Amino acid sequence: VNGRLHALDIDPGTPLLWALRDHLHLYGAKYGCGIGLCGACTVLVDDQAVRACRLSVADAAGKAVTTIEGLAPGREPVQLAWQALQVPQCGYCQPGMIMTAAALLLRSPSPSDEEITEAMSGSVCRCGTFDRMRRAIRRAAAAEGS
Amino acid sequence: VTPITRRAFLSSSAAAGCGLLLALRIPELEAEGLVERPAVFEPNAYLSIAPDDTITIFVIRHEMGQGVRTLLPMMIAEELEANPARIRLEQAVTGPRFAGIRLHTSGSGSSRGTYETLRSAGAAAREMLVAAAAARWSVPPTSCHAESSMVVHGATGRRLTFGQLADAAAAQPVPLEPRLKDPADFRLLGRPMPRVDGPDIVTGRARYGLDVRVPNMVYASIERAPVLGGRLVRFDGSRAVRRPGVLHVMPVTSGIQQGVAVVAESTWAAMSARRELDIAWDHGQHRDFDSERFIADLPGWLETDAQFVVRHEGDARTALRAAARRHGATYVFPFQAHAPLETMNCTADVRADHAEFWVPTQTQHRCMEQAVKVTGLPEERIRIHATLMGGGFGRRLFADYLAEAAQISKVIARPVQVVWTRVDETRHGYFQPSTAERLEGGLDGNGRLVALVHRTSASDLTIYDIHGGRDIYGSEPPPAKEPDHYSSGLSPWGAFDNPYDIPHLRVDAADVPSPVPYGPWRAVEYPSTVFARESFLDELSQLTGRDPLEYRLDAIGEGERMIGPIPLDRGRLRHVHELAAERAGWNRPLPQDARLRGRGIAANVYHGGSYIAQVAEVSLAPDLTDLRVERITCVIDCGLALNPLGVTGQAESGIAWGLSYTLLGPIHFREGRVVERGYQDFRVVAMDRMPELDLHVIASRERPGGFGEHPVPMVAPAIANAVFAATGVRLRRLPITPEALRGAASD
Repeated sequence: VNGRLHALDIDPGTPLLWALRDHLHLYGAKYGCGIGLCGACTVLVDDQAVRACRLSVADAAGKAVTTIEGLAPGREPVQLAWQALQVPQCGYCQPGMIMTAAALLLRSPSPSDEEITEAMSGSVCRCGTFDRMRRAIRRAAAAEGS
Repeated sequence: VTPITRRAFLSSSAAAGCGLLLALRIPELEAEGLVERPAVFEPNAYLSIAPDDTITIFVIRHEMGQGVRTLLPMMIAEELEANPARIRLEQAVTGPRFAGIRLHTSGSGSSRGTYETLRSAGAAAREMLVAAAAARWSVPPTSCHAESSMVVHGATGRRLTFGQLADAAAAQPVPLEPRLKDPADFRLLGRPMPRVDGPDIVTGRARYGLDVRVPNMVYASIERAPVLGGRLVRFDGSRAVRRPGVLHVMPVTSGIQQGVAVVAESTWAAMSARRELDIAWDHGQHRDFDSERFIADLPGWLETDAQFVVRHEGDARTALRAAARRHGATYVFPFQAHAPLETMNCTADVRADHAEFWVPTQTQHRCMEQAVKVTGLPEERIRIHATLMGGGFGRRLFADYLAEAAQISKVIARPVQVVWTRVDETRHGYFQPSTAERLEGGLDGNGRLVALVHRTSASDLTIYDIHGGRDIYGSEPPPAKEPDHYSSGLSPWGAFDNPYDIPHLRVDAADVPSPVPYGPWRAVEYPSTVFARESFLDELSQLTGRDPLEYRLDAIGEGERMIGPIPLDRGRLRHVHELAAERAGWNRPLPQDARLRGRGIAANVYHGGSYIAQVAEVSLAPDLTDLRVERITCVIDCGLALNPLGVTGQAESGIAWGLSYTLLGPIHFREGRVVERGYQDFRVVAMDRMPELDLHVIASRERPGGFGEHPVPMVAPAIANAVFAATGVRLRRLPITPEALRGAASD
């Protein structure tokens, strides 16, 4: 996790989310629904966006997990764009949103608006920060491309 | 703690300008030895200045994304002339320092309710610092001024920092009426302020209630009675307690519904052991409650005598009978849930002689009330830490989840975090009530609305009664209501403060009993009343063959007036209409293609403070499927926009909230239970449903009118009116879905 190897002696069926939060003390991935619908727990597993509440810790074993704490602190283009456009409101969904956007930019460095909408629309933001997120992803893509 | 009734809340926010707390000095605290460094200058409860120039500002509202931790300190800093870089924030907590100060966050009141008080707090401190410097230099105070956390003597250029003056300033008398700046001179307020919590949020460092960890803590998950008001008869936890990590299984009776808690060493162990519980419930008297039946019965309540006259001008019933033309319509608003992303949770550490709570809450007062009730400890032995909230929207104005955590911790004698699952959250809330609104309008020979009777089953949203320690499912009947029960609370919002110029207007509220726990939901009563009122105006324009915008402009009237205690400036209401129409291209033709297209307009005035008009543009497939909201134009006059970034953020957010209940939701009850389980069936909008937005904030120096809830209620009628323009189908019940449209079209 975030470049460090961890040995855990817990129920192998424990979702990765709770292993991160209750056992590795990483609180950036959030609990929102527990069934992979809201996206608040999104982390990268081998560079793919994954819902940590739906992946058992046994299935995550041996894989490279990146949580929001593993991004360069506040210096990733996505985070900078998020700050520049003042995206967050309550902020609770935002680590998951940022990880989802980061995964999108990894696989598609200059995503179309349709790609952005498709990648982000499976995530819930009850504050409704969608318009700013859309603009922030465009900005991050432009920054990475330059 | 005095219960904050809706009435008291309204009068306190109306009178929020009073600086009566300014004179609060801290000698009592000093006498108790609670102030460790007497050299610290504390002119009032809201701030302190240390000799090292650090300014500590206490945030007296709760952060849930609306930006109070950014804005409120700036109100103080503006008048104090403080250097914002040296400001440290602290969350105000219940206790003697903040006795009498409202630590309660609701009703879009955080900015408008503190605007004068916090500025006065900063100005008083500034005047004391200036007086202290002047005394030291033996010059008149008028020859000195403050800037960037220093006092400067203009003639000689001498300067002393606030820290250097802290000691001497503390000896100065507190000015009772400090001079406030002319808003034209503001340096901080009115300019875009980035959120202070932003960097922590985007790096994942921001800590919410569920992120609280204290030594030796355990976790609890509660299986609650599935039926409203159900009772726990007996339970067998022997299988659950054998699961790895499970420590206790125990009854919980302090929350919204009775339940059985599994306490475990980890969140997952607690949650997953719930399915091993064997519980017998008494489903009680509400086992047959059904929301469809409730809604079907609502219009009947509007015909009964169980009504309160909320507002009456002229003689509406007589005028209605005499009208040249009449039109009536009934509108229905379904049940809704808050569905904040962070589920309810509270971490409690209850000991024999003291207790501590970490809780994401909008109201420390309610938390303290529940903490005292459950622990049996006096207030001074209880400490409440308000954490960041993963959304509030009114749900966190209740402290039922704190009560649960308190009870469990008290029994197990360990710190515990109660964690609600998404299913718990969806099924055990304080819901937005379902209402029916009946409007009867009378038109004169020119088609002008001269008489209106608006009857609403707005239900009893004097919500705090529910939570004032009263068991809503108990046998004790609710207390009888005063005749002015609703009108004195300006309720129902949106019906009571109907802003249009109608010579004969009567507003009635029917009191409909319901087993559903009700609570304030973003925009409170406005969503249902404004949907009805603004749809009805559109219907009248259509009936008279007039353009909806023109019809509205005629109905607005001229000049200023009062509605009860609420000031109304009809010029501002007219202006937002005109500007929204202009920006939306109201008179421009829509694209001609295979889709059905239309525009609709709606507006509202929130308690006389903020004026908003929205134009929605929609399109549909010819068979009435694939409804898309293409664009929303939103013109805002909220007085002085204290943080323009915050205002546009709340507008985006409010529009998303409005879209969710206009197009999606709602909550259903069947056999006394909530049918929905989470975001899979109580759906809210995501990015794919967010239309193109055109937000425009009118530059103004009027008093700030508040903003958190204001952009919500006109979304639904603007869309309903646009759908009508596109299809000729009028929907009077939310949500607006293709199924409902096809059903209405075939009627």
